[in-house]
Parts: sequence; structure tokens; C-alpha cells
Amino acid sequence: MIAQLDAVAVEAIIIAALEALNEELDDADKIDVGPDTALFGVDAEIDSLSLVSVIVDVETALSVDHGLEVSLTDDRAMSREVSPFTDVQALKGYILELLEERR
Amino acid sequence: MDVLTGEHVALRPLEPGDAELTLAWRRGPRARLLLDGAGTVEEQRAWIASRPPTERNFVIELRDGRPVGMLSLVDIDLVNRRAESGRFLIGDEEAVRGVPAAVEAMLLLYRLAFDELGLERIYGIVAEENRRMIKWQRYLGMQEEGRLRRHVRIDGRPCDVICLGLLAEEYRAQAEPRMRALIAAAKPRKEMVG
Repeated sequence: MIAQLDAVAVEAIIIAALEALNEELDDADKIDVGPDTALFGVDAEIDSLSLVSVIVDVETALSVDHGLEVSLTDDRAMSREVSPFTDVQALKGYILELLEERR
Repeated sequence: MDVLTGEHVALRPLEPGDAELTLAWRRGPRARLLLDGAGTVEEQRAWIASRPPTERNFVIELRDGRPVGMLSLVDIDLVNRRAESGRFLIGDEEAVRGVPAAVEAMLLLYRLAFDELGLERIYGIVAEENRRMIKWQRYLGMQEEGRLRRHVRIDGRPCDVICLGLLAEEYRAQAEPRMRALIAAAKPRKEMVG
């Protein structure tokens, strides 16, 4: 199951979480969803409430759909030079890194 | 009452002089899911001035002193060691763009409750349709403890609320580490080095 989760699949999970977030936001707050969407930080598209919504949906998809128990907000995430929550690509890279270690 | 100072924000006591600003926040679209409050600045000022000693009401300020929101710890019961968190609102969303203001403000409130006051339990209610807030609170350690049916009216409609609670050990095991992680996530890249 893990081997089937490649970069495309992981990005699709993140995009799906962002689209689900948009469904919960008022029209004025909806974000442009795409592979380059900035997440949290100085160029943030979303606030911390929305970031948590994305994290929960991504962790749930990894767990329920792929049997992967992953915690995206642990000490390791904090200590990285580049925050994994900077944008979609950073988050994708971090998840792929976590998955690679489990192979 | 002391100012609670964090890395990005500080919590300073709410004062009657904050009436106009906080009332404006409460009338904003993002406050739609909060419970009803005062109708005029004078009513808001009187309400602030009449807060009992069992409450700690704060204005959330950025480190440059700009007020951006509010947050409270109410019904503080030092006998049963519990209190309710609430009146949580980021009123100036643009000012906090890229700043983990909401997370750090809540962390400062939890530190006050659990570390300084020695409470065993924090609890609160959130309107059922405020799904992002419920998801946020649960991710940060709050447990769902029940539902109060038709407990509030929002936009003239009766709405259920979800009861949430956090114990001291849950705060230390889950809430505090995750809050620190989210605060760190907002740092510019250069601050993450070393």
C-alpha cells in the first residue's frame, strides 16, 4: 500500500484537503487551490484554523485510505530548516520523506 | 492582572477603553458564530467594567502593540480547579496574516490555567456549525464531551453546540506540543536555521 503512494498521490491528498477547506470557508475567504498554494507563514494563504483543518484531513486520508499513521506536527516537523507547512510542495516533500522511511 | 507575553503575541487585560474596538470585532462577519453580546459601545463598556474576579478577559496584541483579537478564561473555580475558555475571536485577520496569533494566544491562556492557576480542566462550547473551530480545538487536544441541543441562536436559528474539555495531562501530552509545532510552522525560513 505504501509503495503505491507516490508524489502525485500525495499531492492529490493535499489538494483534496484544501478543496474541502474551501467548502467550509465563506466566499470572501476562499483560496486558490493548486500545487503552488502557499499555506502557513509569511506568504500564508490560510490561517492556523484552516491549516489544522488541512492537517487533519491529510492525516485522516493517509490513515483511513492508506493505512498510514502519520503525525505531521511533531518535534521533527518543528526542527526542520524549512517548515513543512510553507506551501503544498513543502508539505508533499515532508510526507514523502516520512513515507520513504517506512518502506 | 499581569500581561502574558509570548513570542508573537501578548495577552493584556481587557479594559473599558477597548469597548469600541471589541464591539466592532463582534459585529464583524467572523463573529457570526459567537454568542450575542452588547448592542452599543456604552453597553460594551459597562459590560467590560462589570467583569467579575472569576474571569480573566484579554485583548490579544501583536508584539508591536496592535490589538488583533480577544480571549477569555471565565467561571474560574479554584475549588474544583476548572474554568471555561471562550470569547475567542481574531478581529483583525489581515494583521495576523502569517502570524500564529490564535495558536499562541490559546497556548498562553492554557499556561495561565494549567501552570499558574493549577487547574485540572478547561472546557468550552462551540456552535456545531463552527466546524473549523471544533476541528482545531480537537486537534489541539480538546475532547468532545457532549452536545447541548438548540443551546444558542445564530442568525435567528436555534443551533446545537458541542461541549469540549481538556484535562491538564492532555494539555501537557498533546495540546502543548502541537501548539508549539504550529507556532514554529509559521516562522520564516531564516529563523528555522540553526
